[in-house]
Amino acid sequence: MRKIWNLIGGVHPPENKHQSVKDSVGSLPLPEKLIIPLNQHIGAPSKAIVAIGDKVLKGQVLANPKGVLSAGVHAPTSGLVSDIGDHPIPHPSGMSAHCITLIPDGEDQWIAHEGLSNYRDHVPEKLLEIIRLSGVAGLGGAGFPTAVKLNPQKPISTLILNGTECEPYITSDDMLMREHPEDIVQGIEILSYILGDPKEVVIGVEDNKPEAYAALKSYLKNTTIELATFETRYPSGGEKQLIQILTGTEVPAKGLPSDIGIACLNVGTAYAVYRAIVFGEPLISRITTVTGKACTINRNYEILIGTPISHLLKHNAFNKKNCSRLIVGGPMMGFALENLDIPVIKTTNCILAPSEEEFPSPQPAQACIRCGMCAEACPASLLPQQLLWYAQSKNYEKLEVQNLADCIECGACSYVCPSNIPLVQYYRASKGEMKKQAEEKVSADRARQRFEFQKNRKEKEIFAKKVQRDVRLKAAAQANKTSGTEGIIQAALDRAEAKKSSPEDQHSRSTRRIARFEDQLRSAQEKLESLKEGVTSDQHEQAKAAVEDAKIRLAEAISSHGLSMPISNPSETPDSASEAITRAQAKVTIQAGLSDEEKLCNTIVSLTARLEKATTRLEIAKTEGSEHIDAFTVAADKLKEKLATAEADLSKIRT
Amino acid sequence: MADISYKEITTNGLWKNNPALVQLLGLCPLLAVTGSVVNALGLGLATMLVLVGSNAAVSLIRKQVSDAVKIPAFVMIIATFTTCTELLMKAFTYELYLILGIFIPLIVTNCAILGRAEAFASKNTIASSVLDGLMMGSGFAIVLLVIGAIREIFGVGTIFANMDLLFGPIAANWNINLFGEGYGFLILVLPPGAFIVTGMLIALKNLIDSKLAQLNATKKEPLKKGAKRMRTTGTIA
Amino acid sequence: MALLKLTSPHAHSAQNTARVMQLVILATIPGLFALTLFFGWGSLINVTLSCMVAVGSEALVIRLRKRPIMFYLKDYSAILTAVLLGISLPPLAPWWIAVVGTSFAIIIAKNLYGGLGYNPFNPAMIGYVVLLISFPVQMTAWPAPAELYPSDMQVPGLWHSIQIVLPLLNPDTLSGVSETASGTIDAYTAATPLDTFKQNTGLLVDQFYKKELFFSQGTWAGLGWEWVNIGFLLGGLFLLYRKIFTWHAPLGMLLSLALCSVIFYDSGSSSSLGSPLFHLLSGATMFGAFFIITDPVTSATSNKGRLIYGALIGVLIFIIRSWGSYPDAIAFAVLLMNFAAPLIDNYTMPRTYGYSKSGVKSNKKRKEDQSDAR
Repeated sequence: MRKIWNLIGGVHPPENKHQSVKDSVGSLPLPEKLIIPLNQHIGAPSKAIVAIGDKVLKGQVLANPKGVLSAGVHAPTSGLVSDIGDHPIPHPSGMSAHCITLIPDGEDQWIAHEGLSNYRDHVPEKLLEIIRLSGVAGLGGAGFPTAVKLNPQKPISTLILNGTECEPYITSDDMLMREHPEDIVQGIEILSYILGDPKEVVIGVEDNKPEAYAALKSYLKNTTIELATFETRYPSGGEKQLIQILTGTEVPAKGLPSDIGIACLNVGTAYAVYRAIVFGEPLISRITTVTGKACTINRNYEILIGTPISHLLKHNAFNKKNCSRLIVGGPMMGFALENLDIPVIKTTNCILAPSEEEFPSPQPAQACIRCGMCAEACPASLLPQQLLWYAQSKNYEKLEVQNLADCIECGACSYVCPSNIPLVQYYRASKGEMKKQAEEKVSADRARQRFEFQKNRKEKEIFAKKVQRDVRLKAAAQANKTSGTEGIIQAALDRAEAKKSSPEDQHSRSTRRIARFEDQLRSAQEKLESLKEGVTSDQHEQAKAAVEDAKIRLAEAISSHGLSMPISNPSETPDSASEAITRAQAKVTIQAGLSDEEKLCNTIVSLTARLEKATTRLEIAKTEGSEHIDAFTVAADKLKEKLATAEADLSKIRT
Repeated sequence: MADISYKEITTNGLWKNNPALVQLLGLCPLLAVTGSVVNALGLGLATMLVLVGSNAAVSLIRKQVSDAVKIPAFVMIIATFTTCTELLMKAFTYELYLILGIFIPLIVTNCAILGRAEAFASKNTIASSVLDGLMMGSGFAIVLLVIGAIREIFGVGTIFANMDLLFGPIAANWNINLFGEGYGFLILVLPPGAFIVTGMLIALKNLIDSKLAQLNATKKEPLKKGAKRMRTTGTIA
Repeated sequence: MALLKLTSPHAHSAQNTARVMQLVILATIPGLFALTLFFGWGSLINVTLSCMVAVGSEALVIRLRKRPIMFYLKDYSAILTAVLLGISLPPLAPWWIAVVGTSFAIIIAKNLYGGLGYNPFNPAMIGYVVLLISFPVQMTAWPAPAELYPSDMQVPGLWHSIQIVLPLLNPDTLSGVSETASGTIDAYTAATPLDTFKQNTGLLVDQFYKKELFFSQGTWAGLGWEWVNIGFLLGGLFLLYRKIFTWHAPLGMLLSLALCSVIFYDSGSSSSLGSPLFHLLSGATMFGAFFIITDPVTSATSNKGRLIYGALIGVLIFIIRSWGSYPDAIAFAVLLMNFAAPLIDNYTMPRTYGYSKSGVKSNKKRKEDQSDAR
């Protein structure tokens, strides 16, 4: 006899199983339409491969699994695909999801299929592939894709088969074990083979199923499979609890049974695996219990996946007036629904239609008196009264410390609470809130990271720009010192400084100038003398003008010399402005002594000289390609004009 | 801060920011000496005296004192006034001085006094500070008086017993025995009673405040005639 | 009828708070019966008076809070508090003792903290302690057991007892003849066995037992009181059987009290602190163990916590009884440990499925490790 450990906590509600085991498993006529959701399992929804209007045969693939954690769906009967779209599905929220609607054609014609004659001839991977393509998911209620569960990362030393069915009212596994024990045992052997023949293989059955126990036992004689029975208590059929009862070890928190080398599957799943491997039949039907006082007939049926619940209830004389609520699943963990059009899916193990006196409306909740009955009942050894306290005050940190995440939502605490507090509702709401907060925190962290990175980048840019600007400023400052506008002014000032020499220097300079101009005058007069015979009038005029010019210059020099005599009083040093003014005045007095003709001659002479200079400048600019070409050209033209005017005036006077 | 009106100072000190019921400062003397009216009144008046004096003095020097030393300076001032009050009580009300014992020097540690010096007197004119000290002190003294009265009436059954300790021989027969001999509800005389009565007073004050707020709210929003817009925010009369 | 949209679980056990409270009240009957047998009608009158005041004051507070009165009264918690307080009071105490104590317990100790489930201290014990501190004379005037009356006096009958408790109903008082309640009781009050034992100086315990009528007439721990304790023990065992509470707290308290008295037992000298049997069957020990410390609202949460809670209460009871100035110590011990219950909870969190270590601290550390590793 195998050692059995006791379930921690737990409750024993009235079993109410006797109503639905009086008859054998029945079958129902084909419904008018079948609604097959694409997601009847844990993982990604399957991908439809048929289109509206396709004719399909029984067992034909309707949708393929998408990714590793997924399962496909198959046509439960032959017929016409009439719709692929949203339809309400069995979910507590009443939401809709993608479903394939199939109208049966009544033929119930199978697609060609065959199983393996001896599965041991094939490698386990091949068997896994068949299971995967047959759409087998956990039939115990969670719907975990079986092919994934049978392919764990760690070696399995114990295979547990869950025939516990601890919830009241549900008897589908019980009837399956009674009617197909041999198939189940063979299925178990296939599972064992796939998992590499684990050391222990145990089937767990509660002690309220003696017939199932006997049926299974008779087929276990030649096998190493153990059959263990234990006291009926809810929730001993939970995966973690069953593992603890049968092996005494606990699944580590936030871990999987495979972490401790255990795999746990439902007996219905074993049966489905058997049919998939040996017969090649995909998962298209399951045994479901229809029970509750609002249905006159209480019985188990082999129901096609996708059968609307209304069809079931119709054939069980459902009395809607008497029904207080319609529950999919058992009384402890099932959810209530209003829409009768939703289908039976792979995980629907029971449809419960209780009357008002079976499950009266819930009483209003009173204050928690901290009696601790919930803590006694909790199979996960949590403190539900503390969880309630923190859930009511939304203290999520304390909820984490109290391990809210380990609550399996079995409902045992709410069942025993004397104050009728809906404890599981609080926990579900808090879990959802905590999950949302965690997600928000992750995205907020990411946003904060991005923001900080951007801030850094912007700061770096500003800094780089600043550095560049500093460099440019420095370079410009350097350059300005030599050739900027400031530099030009500075150069002029320097020259003025240089020029601003002592009066003695000025005196000697002006003396030298006078001497120079006297020489120029003498040479111009000599020229005039030498030009007296046989010379054109122009040349004569030119020579005379030169003489006059020289005379003017000499006069200027003498007058400025006179002014630049070293003065005994140094404070009266004349500045360049007054000098210029005196020179101009001297020039005017000299000019006043000249006749118009002489004046014009002088003008023509100076203009000619200036024009010569301008022309030279222009030539140089043209050869250099300087930018001032235009300016020089303009200046030269102006001078030419002035010269022409002056000569015209002169010739006017002369004539 | 500087232009707070006298009316506001008065209402603050007596009701809105009452040191004992709202700020909950100075609870040690409040709970310890309010066993009878005479004790409560004695300490209340002493505290008021110290508060007025220290507020005035702190306000006088408020512009000269630097931030670094202001707290020690204020404590010195308060201690001086406390000592003066103590000596006065020792001279004129010796038995009461003996009964109050350590709680007279402990006026120095009354956070209400340092709090007012720091928060008000150091930032306001002398007149305002004196008024503030007077009103805060009165508020405190009134609360002490009320608690003392309640605890004496319901705890021992008398009122105005031993008032001659404070007011001299003329008050010797002010004692009224309300419930006859042999009455005693000791819990009110012991410390738990002080906490309970104080808590009840705070609750009463909050109740009055909320009722007043309700009254004001209904008074303030007259319906505008002919208003055609529908308000979706704010209070709707 | 429309289909209801409700969440799981849909089944519910037959337990509810009102039934739990009613059962506890029911379980006090053996003890009450013993009290009445030995001490007269006083206890029943006290209980009745307390119940009326409790219901009245609870209704008043619920009305002030603008909540449905019947819904809150229906859970019988006020009546239970009143019964427990009424049992603790001396029989034939004046009426205002019960009134003041009960109204204090219900209004201040229970409702001001938030009502049922939110009070940190046991309301009945708060009421008892307030009365004990405020009216020490009336609260220590216990009548003698019936058999110890002087031969010319009888235990007052029901009507007479009512008149003692409510002097206004006594025509003699009204007409001026002074027969105050205390005066009448004086004729037949006696200290409790605990009190007597504590006052003993000089006699060896054996001799003392022979001398004092209390103990010579009684079997183990004083006439009358031992049967009262046995009555409450029976009630408590009944509640254990019905799984109203677990064995941890009561057993913890009784064992630790017995253990303390065993440790300090000096085989009956004149300064003996009492034998284990004496402690267990005298005073309000059994009453406290099964009815007071098992109040779920104010005790520790987990079973391990309750064990520690009960044990510490037992230790405190022994200490106060032996070296404190009060003869009986249940109320003070319970209130002191009510203070400590949250602290005990903090350190006795049970180990959750799947974790290797239990407790709040290890959880916090685990979270820190996880976040560091991340």
